[in-house]
Amino acid sequence: MKNASTYFALSSVVFLVVLAISPLKDFFREWKWYQFEYNRLAGEMPQRIKPADIGIKQIWSRKLDRIDRCVTCHLGLKEKALVESKEPFRSHPQIYHDFEELGCTICHEGQGSATSFKESVGRVEYWDRPIYPKEYMEAACGKCHKEANVPQAPILTLGRKIIEESNCVACHKLEGYLKQWVPSLDGIGSKVNRNWLVHWLKDPRTYFSKTKMPNFLLSDEEANLLADFLMTFKSFPSEATLEPTPQSVASASPSARDKFVELGSTRFREARCISCHPINGKGGYVATDLGKVASKVSPQWLYNYLKSPKRLQPGVEMPRYRLKETELEAVTAYMQSEFIDYEMEEAPARTPDPAYYEKGLALFKKYNCSGCHELGGMKKAEEMGPELVTIGDKRLYEIDFGKASIEQTLPLYLFTKLKDPRVFLPTMKMPKYEFSDEESRAVAVALLGNTKEPIPEELKVLPKPPSTYAPQGDFGQLVDDLACFGCHTMFGRGRLVATDLTLEASQAQRNWIKKYFKVPYSLRPILTERMPNLFLDDREIEVILDYMEKVFIADSLEQQIKIDQTKITKGKILFYEKYGCQACHQINLKGGYVGPALDKVGSRLKPGWIIHWLRNPQALNPEAIEPNNNMANDEVEALTAFLMSLK
Amino acid sequence: MKTALTATILLTLLACSNKSEKTEAAKDTIQVVRGSGPDGKLQSLSYEQRQGKHLYGKYCTVCHGTEGKGDGFNAFNLDPKPRDFTDARYMNALSDERLLETIGQGGRGVNKSVLMPSWGGRLTNIERTYVAAFIRHFGKGNE
Repeated sequence: MKNASTYFALSSVVFLVVLAISPLKDFFREWKWYQFEYNRLAGEMPQRIKPADIGIKQIWSRKLDRIDRCVTCHLGLKEKALVESKEPFRSHPQIYHDFEELGCTICHEGQGSATSFKESVGRVEYWDRPIYPKEYMEAACGKCHKEANVPQAPILTLGRKIIEESNCVACHKLEGYLKQWVPSLDGIGSKVNRNWLVHWLKDPRTYFSKTKMPNFLLSDEEANLLADFLMTFKSFPSEATLEPTPQSVASASPSARDKFVELGSTRFREARCISCHPINGKGGYVATDLGKVASKVSPQWLYNYLKSPKRLQPGVEMPRYRLKETELEAVTAYMQSEFIDYEMEEAPARTPDPAYYEKGLALFKKYNCSGCHELGGMKKAEEMGPELVTIGDKRLYEIDFGKASIEQTLPLYLFTKLKDPRVFLPTMKMPKYEFSDEESRAVAVALLGNTKEPIPEELKVLPKPPSTYAPQGDFGQLVDDLACFGCHTMFGRGRLVATDLTLEASQAQRNWIKKYFKVPYSLRPILTERMPNLFLDDREIEVILDYMEKVFIADSLEQQIKIDQTKITKGKILFYEKYGCQACHQINLKGGYVGPALDKVGSRLKPGWIIHWLRNPQALNPEAIEPNNNMANDEVEALTAFLMSLK
Repeated sequence: MKTALTATILLTLLACSNKSEKTEAAKDTIQVVRGSGPDGKLQSLSYEQRQGKHLYGKYCTVCHGTEGKGDGFNAFNLDPKPRDFTDARYMNALSDERLLETIGQGGRGVNKSVLMPSWGGRLTNIERTYVAAFIRHFGKGNE
């Protein structure tokens, strides 16, 4: 009996100890120490900082249906005085969103309901979505901001641009990206030299460093098979055929031939081909490098292409220059004599594989070439790569990291995959894009934001629907023939290599535009892409001007002002002494070259445009870097008078 | 009774040891998440500075230069020359308020050269603090 009571006493003590563990454990919670520490810090600061009440705190975002307890330890988020303090007490940087409304994890990821450091920010059991590393933070912006150009998120914007330009949609399912135009391969057998094609297929970037075509890492054997296969496609789209070149100097003396090449060189320069085409890396990057083009295409193809680019390559954004036949032939002759690749090695002689067609076709299908290129009416392949619409939700156990020795996180997986697409598994088919670290990270950021997370409609920012503007009639034909959309935007359609033309007739005077077509000079000395001379005839210029005056105009911008000497003098003082416009604009070769030169601006711009521009430049061009000076009306008038007096 | 006691003690011990293992693993993960990105440079900038870098690149580099040395391509045309932000002595003496004022009101607002435009109408308050934060980073390391 005595024995039993001892046992009873002992077990009660043990029981008491076990019972005490729970409240003790609760008392020593990690977050409590942080709160005590915070209160100690708050007491030490010279500024008055409200100490925290001890207890778990949370933000409940009703809109997003998320509960984040991060604020239990991050106590100083709103305290400006704690900007230099250590984490977790540092104040939050100023942002456009209110984190008390949206919470933390919508942007940072991590486990919002956790109350210990490792569980909330790290990868723990049953939770493999740790917080985004700093460099990938902008991925979160992409969850709600679906527009192409996200303000405040330059990395995301860059990533989306690269995804669109690299045509990722050719192989992957993605939302919100349009397939880019890629040349058709029909007729390639009548266009290029086989030797060039083999080199190109092996590594397109040795020919043109900024080509959009990725490197498929083909073996010599594969490149040869594919080249043999492609060279069998000799007929062009819509049954176009190559016209013979006129051979006008075939029987001429060598000096006459030199003169002919000289004429070609002059026209080549006047047409400003290098605005879009680089030559051995120098020039614009809108189109392919011409530095070695004579070793790529046949002279006959080149002559026909210059004569009518869209006939051989429908959809190409190359203007049809209004050159005479002899001039076209001269330009061809010039390019053939000048742009030769002396370093290109001749492929070693080899007997073609008898089954080259079947094997080449198999390769063409294996690498989904028809995802981008048209060939022989072949049907577009279905997306063959994994869908990327919800790639941001990918669980880590679903990813095969192979033998790659990287930290196993989704951002790093995507980054590594983009840098070296076959590093995880050599049999993968994704080609290499030679992205820089910055570009790979940007693409990874854009992809990480692709999640199926439910976002309330009112928080989403959707992209603008694509413009449906399509000019008709004579003007429409000219726009198509001259590929204006390749550089200019009109009513939201086209590229922004050059000016947006939507309000051109409200901006520039008719006479000035007319002269500009004849001698297109550069308004901004620092640009590389310059308006080419298209050699338009007077009738064509009139068609364009008439259309512009009917359509590219806004009546609200028309305004006349009285110009007198006092206003001009006052405007001049404002220009030079108050607003310092000469910091960016040149007049008489004095001043900066950030903005366009303003010599003779009175003969170029309309007064109404200058008035509205000075009042608020970004209202007319949201991307303009010109500061908005909030000028008073009399100042605007005086400056306009001064500028209009520069004729 | 004895067995029950030992069992309780064992269980408690087990729970404890299990926990410490997990903590170790979690520490590693946290290291990965917060540290070693492929690019150390971005890491050293705060959020405000990274935002400011983008704005600085668009509006300021033409004159003040990508490295902040006052040697942008347009600096050649300007007299007086744009401010060199790597000049730690000048920058340390410059208060944040004065820096923000200069960005917002331009040279004419703070009795300096009118060649420095006023960005108050173009950039919002927050954007101007981002730019100022980025400008501050140029002086670091020169002190």
